Amino acid sequence: MRILVLTKSVPDLVEELVLDEDSGELLHDEMTYVPSEWDDHAVEEALLIKEDSNADVTVLAVDTGDVDNMLFTALAKGADRAIKLQGDFDLSTSNRKRAQAIAHYVKENPYDLILSGVQAIDDIDGQIPAMVAGLLGMPHASVVTDVRLDGDRVHFHQEYGGGLQAELASQTPVVLGIQAARKPPRYASIAKVRQMMKSSVLEEVEVAVEEVPELEIRRFFKPVAAGHAEMIDGDAEEVAERIVSILKERNLVRG
Amino acid sequence: MALRDVLMAATIIMFVAAGAIFSRRFWNIYQVMKKSRPTNRSDRLGERLTSTFIQVFAHKRMLKIRYSGVLHLFIFSGFVVLLIDVVGSILQLFVAGFSIGPVLGMIVDIWVCLVLIGVVMAIYQRAVIKPERYHGSDETDGYIILGMITMIVIGIAIHESFYPYAAIPVFGVKSAPIGAMEFLAYGLSHLWATLGWTAPRAASIGYAVGYAMDILVIWIFLAYLPYSKHLHVFLAIPNIFVRKMRPPGELVPSPVPEEGIAIRSFGDLSWKDVMDLYTCTECGRCQAVCPAHAAGQALSPKMIILELREALKKELAGGEPIPLAGGVVSQEELWACTTCGACMEACPVFIEHVPKIVGMRAALLEDGEIDKSAQKVLVGWDRQGNSFGQPLKKRPQWTKGLDVAIKDARREPVDWLWFVGDFASYDPRLQDLTRLVAQLLQRAEVDFGILYDGESNSGNDALRIGEFGLFEALAQKNLAKLEEAQYNMIFTTDPHSLNALKNEYVKYGFDRPVKHYTEAFVDLIEGGKFDLKPLGIRATYHDPCYLGRWNRIFDAPRELIKRVGVDLVEMPRHGENSFCCGAGGGRIWMEEVGIKERPADQRIKEALTLEGVTHFVVACPKDVAMFTAAVASTGNEGRLRVVDVAELLAEAAGLGIPDKLVATR
Amino acid sequence: MGPILVVAEFTEGELSDTSRELLTKARELAQSLGSEVIAVGFGSHAEHAMANADADRAVAITGLGLDQYLPLTYERTLSQIVSEYHPLLTMVANSTMGLDLGAGVAAAQHMPVIAYCNGLHTDAEDIVAQCQAFAGKLLAEVAVPAGGAVITVLPGSFGSSGTSGHPEVTVMAVDSVPGMDVVKILEPEKGDVDITRADILVSVGRGIGDPENLGLAQELAEAIGGVVSCSRPVVDAGWLPKARQVGKSGQTVKPKLYLALGISGAPEHLQGMKDADLIIAANTDESSSIMEVAHYGTTVDILDLMPALAERLRGE
Repeated sequence: MRILVLTKSVPDLVEELVLDEDSGELLHDEMTYVPSEWDDHAVEEALLIKEDSNADVTVLAVDTGDVDNMLFTALAKGADRAIKLQGDFDLSTSNRKRAQAIAHYVKENPYDLILSGVQAIDDIDGQIPAMVAGLLGMPHASVVTDVRLDGDRVHFHQEYGGGLQAELASQTPVVLGIQAARKPPRYASIAKVRQMMKSSVLEEVEVAVEEVPELEIRRFFKPVAAGHAEMIDGDAEEVAERIVSILKERNLVRG
Repeated sequence: MALRDVLMAATIIMFVAAGAIFSRRFWNIYQVMKKSRPTNRSDRLGERLTSTFIQVFAHKRMLKIRYSGVLHLFIFSGFVVLLIDVVGSILQLFVAGFSIGPVLGMIVDIWVCLVLIGVVMAIYQRAVIKPERYHGSDETDGYIILGMITMIVIGIAIHESFYPYAAIPVFGVKSAPIGAMEFLAYGLSHLWATLGWTAPRAASIGYAVGYAMDILVIWIFLAYLPYSKHLHVFLAIPNIFVRKMRPPGELVPSPVPEEGIAIRSFGDLSWKDVMDLYTCTECGRCQAVCPAHAAGQALSPKMIILELREALKKELAGGEPIPLAGGVVSQEELWACTTCGACMEACPVFIEHVPKIVGMRAALLEDGEIDKSAQKVLVGWDRQGNSFGQPLKKRPQWTKGLDVAIKDARREPVDWLWFVGDFASYDPRLQDLTRLVAQLLQRAEVDFGILYDGESNSGNDALRIGEFGLFEALAQKNLAKLEEAQYNMIFTTDPHSLNALKNEYVKYGFDRPVKHYTEAFVDLIEGGKFDLKPLGIRATYHDPCYLGRWNRIFDAPRELIKRVGVDLVEMPRHGENSFCCGAGGGRIWMEEVGIKERPADQRIKEALTLEGVTHFVVACPKDVAMFTAAVASTGNEGRLRVVDVAELLAEAAGLGIPDKLVATR
Repeated sequence: MGPILVVAEFTEGELSDTSRELLTKARELAQSLGSEVIAVGFGSHAEHAMANADADRAVAITGLGLDQYLPLTYERTLSQIVSEYHPLLTMVANSTMGLDLGAGVAAAQHMPVIAYCNGLHTDAEDIVAQCQAFAGKLLAEVAVPAGGAVITVLPGSFGSSGTSGHPEVTVMAVDSVPGMDVVKILEPEKGDVDITRADILVSVGRGIGDPENLGLAQELAEAIGGVVSCSRPVVDAGWLPKARQVGKSGQTVKPKLYLALGISGAPEHLQGMKDADLIIAANTDESSSIMEVAHYGTTVDILDLMPALAERLRGE
């Protein structure tokens, strides 16, 4: 079983998003990028599958200039190979274009199971796993957890609203958008990542991407809060006092 | 004559056999040590000798527990005297007519009594007092050894007392009667006379039995020792001699092993670590002082040593090697450690528990195993340089509320460079306190500055979680910024940062003076920089592990507390024996697994036993957070207030301070 | 000008609230563009459920096994319909089904997809979509391309007019596509309590920090006569069962009082609780999204607030 995990980096939301307020453009080069949280889960799920069976795990990222550390980290966690798709890409490259590049690669290099984070914080032009599947005509499912191999079939859970889930089974190849891994993603120690940097190489694959449908994003802007809570000041005691009086006004305190 | 020949032959044969068993064992241990990692233990020879002398002959650490210390001193000193006896008795057997003389004879008799008293005390301790620290130790082994010692010393008295009667039948020489100076043999020989056991046959048997109990049991003892915890009889003194003499707070000395600090197998231990395993006496003093153990968690430092020793024995016997981290020693045990160092402080034979625990943690970490909350903190340190998951840019935000701006030490020279630390910078509950320290420095007209967002976490706790690579990355970041700055001295409010700057950055060539704020403030007070009004409160002081035990700064905070007119009452556990708050070694971020009573809660209860004490003084930001919570969770808000030394100083110096920080409120 | 296609979803055999919203918005756009609205629904109840939908035409797709959502079959079928009808806009809810169909169909049909849309209007020349990005920290204004697009819409973005219509319903029978099928439905573990029925929810998030602190939340819930619920990270950490989760992949709740403690308010969470009658939020960050839907907010530490509140409520 060959598993491919699609990963990407996204702006670190702990730090400020940097926006040119006049043009509404994101200043990609001024932000710090971190691996997308959902992709971390996809990597973890792939590694857990590898531990259960003899799957071979390859991680892939479109080379937007800052992905080396992310790929070495995945290798340090236990992935077998790492691939960097090279071409005309940078941090502002759209998801659609990335999906197209990945589709070209997968067409030439088949895998049985393709996992990726179900979404990313910056995918208003579409979630990569669903687009890759659409482009390749492969079956796919989103909001997936608990992926297990059963012979040549892949079993997984898909979550719907209201806590409802279904267990599905699919033929391979299949693309799955991972919501959460069975276990929280493991840690890769800095020493181990450094060791990977010394001992392993990222395979570079050149891909050319034709024109793809792109979105015209006119501007990004900070939402004007539709409303804002009335803030209660003071220490915990004072705040508690005030909350109790609000609840009393509304008869929410038991008599 | 035949009896003498039999005894001589037995002495020689058994000596050779015991010697062979003994040597084989030592050879095995030596082989393991030879294959382990190097560690330099030949520095500061003079100090090594003196401290070994103090620990061995004055029983300095042993006497911390008075009863055990005294009984051990009796038995231990008996071993020295035993040498006189061994030489004397054997010569007596082999050289007809030899005698050690009445003076040495008396000394031997005195020590036979002392050892017997010690043995009785030891049995009483094991059977009646039953200290908790023995839980998990091999008690049978303890009794076997006590039994052998009893046989040996009683044997001495017996063969000595029969000697005058057996001299002619056994040795064919005439012996003078025993003088009253050798009181024990004297008394017993009169007893034999009264009982009528002085005839040649009876006397010969009496002598032979006594001799066998003494010398032959000693040979058995010699063969048995290396396989029991009493190997410490031979290894304790060398182990104390090769103890760590580097600064206590330095966890990883230079040069750092190229393959990292992870301990996965016995080959990853240093030879001193291996020696530690065989030296352990199972006395459990480490277990008795361990905060994790006291909290009810899986960890006992003693059991870690014993588990490792058992596994090593099995491996040497041809068993399949088991991974040390997570196998021989469980993950729960390893992650429970606060790295407070109380175990190492208590160990009479200077076993180093903490580096082994951290090394095994490093192995777990390399396999991706770590508490998930702590993992988030590691990622936060890597990305933002702080444990709060906050932006790097927000590090200096606490300075916003100050009237006078603080200098940016990266841009202009300062006299003192303040290394603020994560908690003091980011914790909203501590920022008032941090500003207070700034105001105190401003009041004292100190020319000081900070690194603003150029400061990152010192890496002290990252290292103790076992993440050496991250520690190194953080250290390099800080060192690069420190390189840019011009200053005469670094001072820090955080003992954990202090420890890293003072002891761990040395391996990267950093050697600037570093002071804790209590030391710096004492200097300022001595320089007349503050006009202090006595506060007139009664307080106790908690020594933070990384200030006290690991950096031996005990006096400065106490001096400061006294200078502001506070009546200081010590808790039973203070100074080097201080009891950890439970936050160290990354514990503050980890899930509380199996905790029955938090160390911080226990500590607050300890403080409450002190008559009239209303304030609990601390000198570490993490302590403020931990103990404030502990006072609340034990329901003692009205009875005890947690205050930082800086709050006391600010109030005594008449600074305008926020209401909630007024200590005497 | 192509039609506006709305993919309908059903709850208990009727059009879902979100589908009604989508139809209302589609109708509004169709009127200003002079276009028509086509509703597409799957399953045996689709024909009945769409009979009064506010659409001009409806396509009810039936077939063996289609009553249960089948990602592969639904996607292939929708793709086929899109290629037949050439819609200008294809609107789907940002549900699990929407996440599957939106980007998948768009890619297969060489169309762009606009995701996380929470606003749609026409300006001088274009249809303009407003989208949520970066966990709600930014919004984006996106021009819908002249050639059309697939749009996934966040539930609760538009509101529904309640208007009904009389679409001409076509029934289309399809075979399920082999390759991916449902093994079994996993009913939610209801556990000890049903948080959707509670009048008062004491809901905790990441800010609780440590599972030990859940005791404080439980005590508060007891004192106030409520039930403890939580946001996704608390479930992912294994600190509370899935049945207690509020939000997109958990339960949608509408209690009289929702106490949000240490919850920053990811869009997925807000979706599940924003209609509560009274929301009081405690979070150390005053600028967090939860404060935008909360009626009252505070930045005090929840570990201090919970016991202080519980004490007062017990004292009543």
